[in-house]
Amino acid sequence: MTPVERAGQEAGLRGRLRALFPFDWELLRHAGAEPVPYHLKKWWFCLGGTVLYLFIVQVVTGIALTFYYVPSPAQAYESVAAITREVRFGWYIRSLHKWSANFMIVAVFLHMLRVYFTGAYRHPRQLNWCIGFLLLGTTLTFGFTGYSLVYEQLSFWGATVACNLAAAVPLAGPYIGYFLRGGPEVGENTLTRFFILHIGVLPTVTFILLGLHVLLIRLHGVTELQFEGEEAPEGERHFRFWPEHATTELMIGVLLMYLLTVVALVFPAGLGEQADPTRTPEHIKPEWYFYFNFRLLKLTSLQLSVVLTGAIGAIAFLWPFIEEWLSRRFRMPDEAPVIVGVLGFLGFLVLTVWECFAA
Amino acid sequence: MTLTTKRYIVAALSFLFLASLLVVAYHESKRHRAEERPGPVVTAANRGCVDCHRKDGPALVMEWEHSRHAQYGVGCVDCHAAEKGEMDAWSHEGTTVSALVTPKDCARCHAREYEQFSRSHHARAGEILASLDNVLAEKAAGMPGNIADAVNGCWQCHGAIVKFKRDAQGGILRAGKESKPVIDPDTWPNSGMGRLNPDGSKGSCHACHSRHAFEAKLSRSPENCGKCHMGPDHPQIEIYNESKHGIAFYANRDRMALDREKEWVLGRDYSAAPTCATCHISSYMTPQGIAVANSHDVGERISWTLRPVISTKLNLVIYEDGFKEDYPDTRALPKVGDQAQTVEKVVENEKLISKTVPRKVARVVTWEDRRKGMKGVCLNCHNDTYVDNFYKQYDDLVVLYNEKFARPAQQVMDDLTADGVLNPKAPFEHNVQWVFYELWHHEGRRARHGASMMGPDYTHWHGMYEVAKHFYTKFLPEVVEIAATKGPALRQKYEQKVRQLLAQDAHVWQKGLKPEEAEALRKMYRERYNQ
Repeated sequence: MTPVERAGQEAGLRGRLRALFPFDWELLRHAGAEPVPYHLKKWWFCLGGTVLYLFIVQVVTGIALTFYYVPSPAQAYESVAAITREVRFGWYIRSLHKWSANFMIVAVFLHMLRVYFTGAYRHPRQLNWCIGFLLLGTTLTFGFTGYSLVYEQLSFWGATVACNLAAAVPLAGPYIGYFLRGGPEVGENTLTRFFILHIGVLPTVTFILLGLHVLLIRLHGVTELQFEGEEAPEGERHFRFWPEHATTELMIGVLLMYLLTVVALVFPAGLGEQADPTRTPEHIKPEWYFYFNFRLLKLTSLQLSVVLTGAIGAIAFLWPFIEEWLSRRFRMPDEAPVIVGVLGFLGFLVLTVWECFAA
Repeated sequence: MTLTTKRYIVAALSFLFLASLLVVAYHESKRHRAEERPGPVVTAANRGCVDCHRKDGPALVMEWEHSRHAQYGVGCVDCHAAEKGEMDAWSHEGTTVSALVTPKDCARCHAREYEQFSRSHHARAGEILASLDNVLAEKAAGMPGNIADAVNGCWQCHGAIVKFKRDAQGGILRAGKESKPVIDPDTWPNSGMGRLNPDGSKGSCHACHSRHAFEAKLSRSPENCGKCHMGPDHPQIEIYNESKHGIAFYANRDRMALDREKEWVLGRDYSAAPTCATCHISSYMTPQGIAVANSHDVGERISWTLRPVISTKLNLVIYEDGFKEDYPDTRALPKVGDQAQTVEKVVENEKLISKTVPRKVARVVTWEDRRKGMKGVCLNCHNDTYVDNFYKQYDDLVVLYNEKFARPAQQVMDDLTADGVLNPKAPFEHNVQWVFYELWHHEGRRARHGASMMGPDYTHWHGMYEVAKHFYTKFLPEVVEIAATKGPALRQKYEQKVRQLLAQDAHVWQKGLKPEEAEALRKMYRERYNQ
């Protein structure tokens, strides 16, 4: 007898309700009963969950902001100003959205660092690394499109530069550029496109990728790590996802909410000068997470920087497979990937800080 | 490598990441602080005014807070402060202030603009108070003891002579516990462009730069000028709205950079359309760089005067003390260095009087020079041929109006006066005078203004068509009719004049078109409308 048939035979109201929605609740219970390895009690192994939590904050605050935001060049800036100054708790929601976005990007990077250096991307979890990397892409695109929606001078011109970068991609570039801008220049269509990307396309893609990411984690199980001299007591090697681990995540969530509120209060989201398409500001800057790219652009040329970023991205995306191939071919020592990772991340940091010092 | 070592690596990188972010955040916030628009700066001197007027006139304070003045700490007393003993001053909450802010007050900071504005046509807008227009408002539309039409009409654009209520001894009447001087309500409030102020200054900066936000975008917008430059006698705003320039402006307002701080340069900051300010006041690009105009002398680039009965080209004589005088091209130009007798209008004892002042000529600007200035604006968007040909079209229209209608009509009016038919002291006694007045002052101006600013409908249907229709069907018959009232001899004389006039090439068409022309007309209506 299938679970659905079983549900249909149950008596009383419970049975009737189950017949209405013949879902095998055992599956959910089974999914929640995932045994979680002992080391996940350490907070820094919960960074993936942190990203998910912040994403939920983004969704909720984002919906609230959409109630008031008007995606037209003539009214965008004014509506953001109204959200910030007039709408009840508008400034708080907007500040939460802004800071949570920044926190989310930081958390994504930290999560990737952890996964990378603990080698959790290795066989059989290569595919999940790739999905995770795509999620990094959607997160950054979220940040970029969201920042542009504010329609202040810096964000407008940041978007212009980013579109130029996209247009410099070899072969498909001009088409991508045209598609993003909705024309040959950044104009009236661009804002609408960014808006649709930000509130429609990207969330959908992210939900799908997140679903796959979590599903694969559940299917593979979390990588079990054993720290030297930190053996878990027998019988405590694993604990339950629900409710033990969920509680840990919830507590981290509360702490994050507290942190977000503090930064939103101390550094509320401001509003620069309104975008003026006729006047290029003296200094154009994207958000900090694109500084490395911007520095690369200034150090090389538009074309070269795009090719370099693409190459670095492709290597990072396929790293689990590349590493496997390299170690098979060259018998790479265990330290090699660690060194590559340290150098790569330091390179990212150096370019980022360098750009902030460059006037 | 052990897992613990890797853990330390992750920790070290995370700390480095955090440190990098803090460095970036520190630098970013420093940059943002520098770029942020500063909020209103309320200095100690203004604190009292702001606190009190936030309750008593809060919108006024809000507007000021929105201004650039506020961002630089320029507040209430900086403009409203007055010296003890000034006519319009009184002690308000311990500070000597004046409600009336004149160009002289603005000149404390904006000296250059004051100097330029004071010699402009705008500053002299109040000097036309002794014109036919004023007679119409005060006499024709008004009545003894009530000049409300002039007060609410003419003076609100041209400016009033600001006067005070006087006691029996001629002293200024003061009222209230603060002894506030009582301004004659007929003369204040008044934001007329050529207001004649008690301190001797002429004009009102507020006419274009509305208080208390003083927004650049407002004074650069055509609607601002349209408050006065509109209506049957000078419909500049209507013509502009009808023109390609106006259409481009309203469609592309968002690309006009109207809010641009400091200079607003055509060809650098915006390109979508010219506004009134663009052509008549603002700076523009030339192949040599920016032609810094922003002169606040609005007539600088005008080469025709379109206001009088008969238009003339306008030369300009500038004297050593900066005084400027328009010279119609019918008047012989002096040479640089010549001593000339100039007529200056000043207010004495609250009355506008003419004063003759000897002055030395410093510079002569011909109408061609003035036109060159305007062409510089045009050349930002059009080429030489286009601009030159436009001016040819425009000049031809003015000449047509002048020669076909204005000059003969003026001649007939002069003859009627010389023959004693019209009383020079009674400008609106007879129908013919009203018809003649509207012919040049309303219809003739509309035609000329229409051509000057590319408004086809104003040039023709509201302009030349009306001129022609009223010239033939009202003016000439009225001339004969009024002459006839003085006897058959004069009647015959003027019938003869009209006959001679209508026999001229320009008017002979009235007697009938050529057969082929008449046939072409009939054919067109037949083919087009089957009628």
